[in-house]
Amino acid sequence: MSPSVRRTPLRRRLPAPAVAVALLVLAVAAVSALFGGLLVPDATAQSLMTGITFPGPGHPLGTDELGRDVLKLLVAGANTAVLGALAVSAGSMILGNLIGLPAGYLGGRTDALAMRWADLVLSLPALLVAIVVAGVMGGGFWLAVLVLVVLFAPTDARVVRGAVLEQRSRAYVEAARLQNLSSWRIMTRHVWPNILPVALANAFLNFAYALVSLASLSFLGLGVAAGSPDWGRTLSDNKAQLFANPWAAVAPGLAIIITAAAVTVVGDWLQERAERRRLAR
Amino acid sequence: MTDLAKGQPLIEVSGLRVSRTSDERTLLSDVSFAVEAGRSLAIVGESGSGKSLTVRALFGLLPSGLEASGEVDLAGVRVSERPKELRRLRGSTVSLLLQDPFTLLNPLRPVGRQIADGLPRAKRTREEITRRLAEVGLSADVAERRPYELSGGMRQRVGLACALAGDPRVLVADEPTTALDVTTQAEVLDLIRRVQKERGMAFVLITHDLRVAFSMCDEVLVLYAGRTVEKGPADAVRGNSRHPYTRALLAAEPPLDRRLAVLPSVPGSVPAHDAVVGRCGFADRCALAADACRTGTPELRPAGPERWSACVKADAIAVTAAPEPAVAPAPVLADPAGPALLDVRGLTRTFRGAKRPALGGIDLRVAPGEAVGIVGESGSGKTTLARCVVGLERPDGGTITFDGTSYTDLRALGKADRARVLRGVQMVFQDPYSSLNPVRSVGAVLAEALRAAGRDGGKAEVAALLDLVGLSATVAARPPAGMSGGERQRVAIARAVAGRPRLLICDESVSALDVSVQAQILTLLADLRAALSMSLLFITHDLAVVRQITDRVYVMSDGVLREEGPTERVLDSPADPYTRRLLASLPRP
Repeated sequence: MSPSVRRTPLRRRLPAPAVAVALLVLAVAAVSALFGGLLVPDATAQSLMTGITFPGPGHPLGTDELGRDVLKLLVAGANTAVLGALAVSAGSMILGNLIGLPAGYLGGRTDALAMRWADLVLSLPALLVAIVVAGVMGGGFWLAVLVLVVLFAPTDARVVRGAVLEQRSRAYVEAARLQNLSSWRIMTRHVWPNILPVALANAFLNFAYALVSLASLSFLGLGVAAGSPDWGRTLSDNKAQLFANPWAAVAPGLAIIITAAAVTVVGDWLQERAERRRLAR
Repeated sequence: MTDLAKGQPLIEVSGLRVSRTSDERTLLSDVSFAVEAGRSLAIVGESGSGKSLTVRALFGLLPSGLEASGEVDLAGVRVSERPKELRRLRGSTVSLLLQDPFTLLNPLRPVGRQIADGLPRAKRTREEITRRLAEVGLSADVAERRPYELSGGMRQRVGLACALAGDPRVLVADEPTTALDVTTQAEVLDLIRRVQKERGMAFVLITHDLRVAFSMCDEVLVLYAGRTVEKGPADAVRGNSRHPYTRALLAAEPPLDRRLAVLPSVPGSVPAHDAVVGRCGFADRCALAADACRTGTPELRPAGPERWSACVKADAIAVTAAPEPAVAPAPVLADPAGPALLDVRGLTRTFRGAKRPALGGIDLRVAPGEAVGIVGESGSGKTTLARCVVGLERPDGGTITFDGTSYTDLRALGKADRARVLRGVQMVFQDPYSSLNPVRSVGAVLAEALRAAGRDGGKAEVAALLDLVGLSATVAARPPAGMSGGERQRVAIARAVAGRPRLLICDESVSALDVSVQAQILTLLADLRAALSMSLLFITHDLAVVRQITDRVYVMSDGVLREEGPTERVLDSPADPYTRRLLASLPRP
């Protein structure tokens, strides 16, 4: 009736500009993470003669103390930073689903046990525990990943459990129960596909946290080995050189922030799309 | 407020059209009507007819992405051209009463304050609120209470008081009693009608229920697939409808006073508005359809004094009276002393924190092949009873004996016994939308049900099962998304009868469906009962439905069985006062 009710319909078809940028960022990060070694095989090549320099010809972001090109370090460093975060979010999603699904569906003692475990883990300061465990066990990249998986899984389990509780009282689940199907089958074949979008959305959020957490561990020297190209490590290595070449420390920090933000934006976007599809049903 | 010339309508809509901005799809077009002070109009339609869109467009409340065009005049003001004016008139000149009394009110604020919100500033006094509450039949102390402390009927009364707070001259009510029980519905409808007459408001009622429309309004407008198909005085439309759709809708309404041999039903379901551009939307479901119906859109044309019809054969229909459907012979009743398929004894269940038991010692039996009804309003315990039988709910005490197996809690039974019971008894739920898993195709759902019943669940079996419920085999590959409510309910029924159960429990299985589809499903259930020689336990709040499908009926309220007997006897000469009250509260034109 009034022209004021007209809303832009294009938004429904094309992703918003922010999402497009975020997707581009993730594509760059993914390519760097997977093929970084091929793209910049000489990333760790030192040139002590060059030493630390400001950005200039040949070195768009300058070099670090050891004369390594900062841009090349960033590309090579994506591997551990991004793949590590991916491993953490995927691992905690799997563990969280394995715990949250039966907790929500079966309820009772299973639920109580799972949720008390989640409360216990969540009550611990995650990063501090990771530092202590990694420190005691001697550090190392995969140990850091494993510790983070265990620490992140309770949030996944809680989110999954909540989504399962919502589905459990639906008539289609009751109909499946009336067919005398096993609880395992109802959980995995009927309920799980319906809560998968929620679990995935949470995994995206976790990815961003994991990226920052892993970088923090590497920064503290508990993640990747010293000297390896890794965003957190590079940031840590060059923090003292802020005046010689600020980019050597700022660029990896920005890479972490931008990638984490992009993942959150894309995660939100995917969840919104899934939600719209669900509502269209 | 503008002064109107005498006889000028308070609300006048012409050429209302709603379309989606993204793809220019039209959802509603050519809706026109006018209502004068003191007069009333019912807009009747099934789901997908566009009746709710009409209301939303009137109030400028369309969801984003939708756009309305056409002219709307409220009390002489052309609000369609001045949306700001509309905002000023909402509440004071035109007011809206919504369907759901549970979400209508803010749960945390005392209702007195919520009524005061709509009152003119000078009138926000305790006396005025008391007066407003009295108008809708509530006592003054209700003002201090919060919505969750009130029953559904009381909430809807408060909703009405809120809608009337600004002393509107036009009241629009969108399915105001659909969410209420039959007895409450009658009270609230009476109240709305009385208040409308007293205040001399123009009244627009949106409803899917023809009986309610005829009993409440002077004029009726029938919408189908987003287009007006018939308009005229209520009495005339009821007595001699000039459109086949209205006739079909009237015929599909099951009668309360007799059981029909064949329930007249309309094949198919309501199409989308733009799927039937340039043709009559009803042609594919119409027995009278001719070539002319498919080559052009029939215009709404005068069909007698103050009457309009969009049927090319409106004049021919006028002379042919609708044939009187045949009455079914009296059912052969099962021998009450004979063997029972289901025998429930002294079943009790009290939910934690509840003041009274949901089931207070229920005795019920169903003989093999018998169709038994349980009638009751919400909260009567009828659904809890059914859920106990199939093990979805755990009773506190009593015994259920099904086909020789006795149990109190089906889940506590051994694996083999439980499997045997669940092969013999199955259930069809109320909501056809939530009862199908959105991510599984129809074929997968049915194959699984067949396998659970010990069959192979191959393509041929799935196709045969779909055929049994009147669906084509091509449906198997589809997900439930995009299927109509009637089609979904057919799939749900197919799933329930996959293992050839001996007892099918239908828990309000047709109450979420449109009238024209409801008759299809009732016919399907009756046919299946005969074909598979099943017993039927039919749970419903609808007395007319129970008359059509059951031989014997139990009347239930507050967790207690009030009356039991052959359906005919119970509905014709009820013995219990509760049954009598239930029967008396049905809307009568």
